[in-house]
Amino acid sequence: MAVAASHAGHLEQHDHIHPEPTTFIGKYIFSLDAKVIGIQYMITGLLFFIISGLLAEVVRIQLLRPEGGFVSNDTYNGVYSLHASGMIWMTIIPLMTGGFGNFVMPLMIGARDVAFPWLNLASFWIFPPAGVILFSSFLVGAPDAGWTEYPPVSVQGPPGTSLWCVAIFLIGISSTMTGLNFMVTIIKMRAPGMTFTRMPLFVWAQLATAMLNMVATVALSAALAALFIERTFGVPFYDPGRGGSPVLWQHMFWFYSHPAVYIMILPAFGFISEIFPTFARKPIFGYKMIAFSSIAIALLGFMVWAHHMFTSGMAPWLQLPFMILTMVISVPTGIKIFSWLATLWGGKIEFHAAMLFALGFIVVFTFGGITGIFLSAVPVDLHLHGTYFIPAHIHYVLFGGSIFGLFAAVYYWWPKITGRMMNDTLGAWHFWLTFVSFNATFLPMHWLGIMGMPRRVAQYRPEFQFWNDVCSIASFVLAASTLIFLYNMFTSLTRGKKAPPNPWNARTLEWQISSPPPYYNFKTIPAVLKNPYDFGEPLPYLGLGPSDKEDPHPTKPGGTPPEPAHA
Amino acid sequence: MAVSAINASHEAVHARYEAVDPLYREVRDIRLLGFVLFLVSDVVLFSMFIFAYLYLRNSVPNWPPITKDGMQLPRFDVAFACINSCVLFGSGATMHFAMESWKHLNKAAFNLWMIATIVLGIGFLSGQAYEYQHVPVTWTGSTMGASFFTLTGMHGFHVFVGVIYLITLYVQANRGVYTGSKYFGLTAGTLYWHFVDVIWVALFYLFYLM
Repeated sequence: MAVAASHAGHLEQHDHIHPEPTTFIGKYIFSLDAKVIGIQYMITGLLFFIISGLLAEVVRIQLLRPEGGFVSNDTYNGVYSLHASGMIWMTIIPLMTGGFGNFVMPLMIGARDVAFPWLNLASFWIFPPAGVILFSSFLVGAPDAGWTEYPPVSVQGPPGTSLWCVAIFLIGISSTMTGLNFMVTIIKMRAPGMTFTRMPLFVWAQLATAMLNMVATVALSAALAALFIERTFGVPFYDPGRGGSPVLWQHMFWFYSHPAVYIMILPAFGFISEIFPTFARKPIFGYKMIAFSSIAIALLGFMVWAHHMFTSGMAPWLQLPFMILTMVISVPTGIKIFSWLATLWGGKIEFHAAMLFALGFIVVFTFGGITGIFLSAVPVDLHLHGTYFIPAHIHYVLFGGSIFGLFAAVYYWWPKITGRMMNDTLGAWHFWLTFVSFNATFLPMHWLGIMGMPRRVAQYRPEFQFWNDVCSIASFVLAASTLIFLYNMFTSLTRGKKAPPNPWNARTLEWQISSPPPYYNFKTIPAVLKNPYDFGEPLPYLGLGPSDKEDPHPTKPGGTPPEPAHA
Repeated sequence: MAVSAINASHEAVHARYEAVDPLYREVRDIRLLGFVLFLVSDVVLFSMFIFAYLYLRNSVPNWPPITKDGMQLPRFDVAFACINSCVLFGSGATMHFAMESWKHLNKAAFNLWMIATIVLGIGFLSGQAYEYQHVPVTWTGSTMGASFFTLTGMHGFHVFVGVIYLITLYVQANRGVYTGSKYFGLTAGTLYWHFVDVIWVALFYLFYLM
């Protein structure tokens, strides 16, 4: 209690927050509350996930037969370009940072909201228009140079390429603003007593992601702005015929897009670091190593971009340092994997759907990470570059890593977000169907790549047909397994069992208040005494009253609403 | 005597800065970090275009580049840019004096220095407009022109926004929005204006001297 008393003066300072809205629009449309904005991100992201997923099925239907014929070649180019762009920029990045970052992170650090709620509102409302602009490029001729849009093809590409530039530029601005907002929130607004080494690992992951989002995404904005003005006004940057350099785009693009793969995976590492200790009922192994390896990945992530460009004609002496740095960056990732395995070791593991997806994540992500090490070796990369091995690798790390992580996060935080439980049996069905069909879809792509099938082709040689058919049929099962997930969410919302505040007996702060959390998150900001992973010991929080769990409306009579916002 | 008077005056400024209520202090710290991070991301934006400029410059054997008809483009005029740069750097100095006057509660001097800063900012923009009409390259004609107009144009846009920002701050300060101890908006404006100055140092070297 002495600690709580000594922090009493500090507690009140956290009370500057916007007043609770009363109108429908203020509550659900233009809300300043990070939790509502997080849910808005999740709904929008889910919509774009479905659209992008259907585009992937179009690709797989086209590749059922060597001669293709399901869609025209031009449409096919647009379909796979927008499948990747939609999944990366409209689904994974917004869901990881905007969705779960907004909902969970402020709760975990014991804050009432993010540092700049209006900026947060603006970040979100840039996102749906950006998605609409991206997918509407089909109406004028979709971009046809893949998600990387290499010049000079993209400079001469159809009009939709300009729309693509605008859409990705907008979502980039949104990401930058979210990154800035989260950095300030995590650095400045943690509950008293929550030192950096007492932060939950998900918050560490969000901090590293926010750094990347803030710095790297601006590089993409610059590259896109240059591409846009080259296409629109004819300003020479990338066109080699006019003195520009296509390799310049590759440098600028990958200086963003390599860090971007860590933007897409670091939050998933954070999900896993929360889920494993909770369901293994054991303290996390190597807390500091997991935390600092996130930062190490974020820093190293800026030094490896040219490993995407081994075949682009860059100076040969540059290949060796980039190859070595790429191999070095797998070390912090390996540290995490082994720490998680050690966390599971000897634990009393509970197989809820969230845990199944987290375990599946370890299996497939490690597999994808190892094929990444193959690709980092220059001689291997020269052979495999531009083959189906590349899509196979990226799907193992982005689907097997990011999307498995997102599924795990949905099952884990769903009771907190909605106040209702999901059906665990359906969750297990969803996991096993996804896991099996995922491997059946993407494992054969490695073999196709080694056999020499090029990526991004609408027709292929007949000897590749068998494995392509396996991939395609498995991908239909993969799509069907997502229907189970959607059905599970829908029935949970309508008929689901009411969720208790802490259904998993987890120890981080968000589980210590009611489900769903009240508008102000915490009646009194708690004081934090230790890190949250010491299972078997009393909770390390002071100042969390029993009323925090029971009364979801602290502003109703009986509660003490905080003072309204300070100008 | 004079030194101790200045020291005493600085101590008073410092005491006022620290003595505000804890709520304002926390809001100020949060906003300061947010604003500095915004400037960091802006530095990255300029850095990327500077990287593009240097990359294009190093990918050809001659600079200024040789056009299709075999003519080498002339260099930019250093003399005029020097004068214009002095105008901008001078505005940085006047901005500093404006902020110091505010901290020492000298409102009349603050107003004077602010107006000087705004006038110098507009002067720089006019100089740039004049220069744009007389440079030997065009935006779309060569990679040299493309980098020059894109980078100095981005910088000019930042100055333009800065001038509007400073005018807003001037009006706000005279309407009593800021006090002797609560003036984060002015701090942010000062940071922004100095940031624009520093970017120009880099651009001046890269385009006119290098």
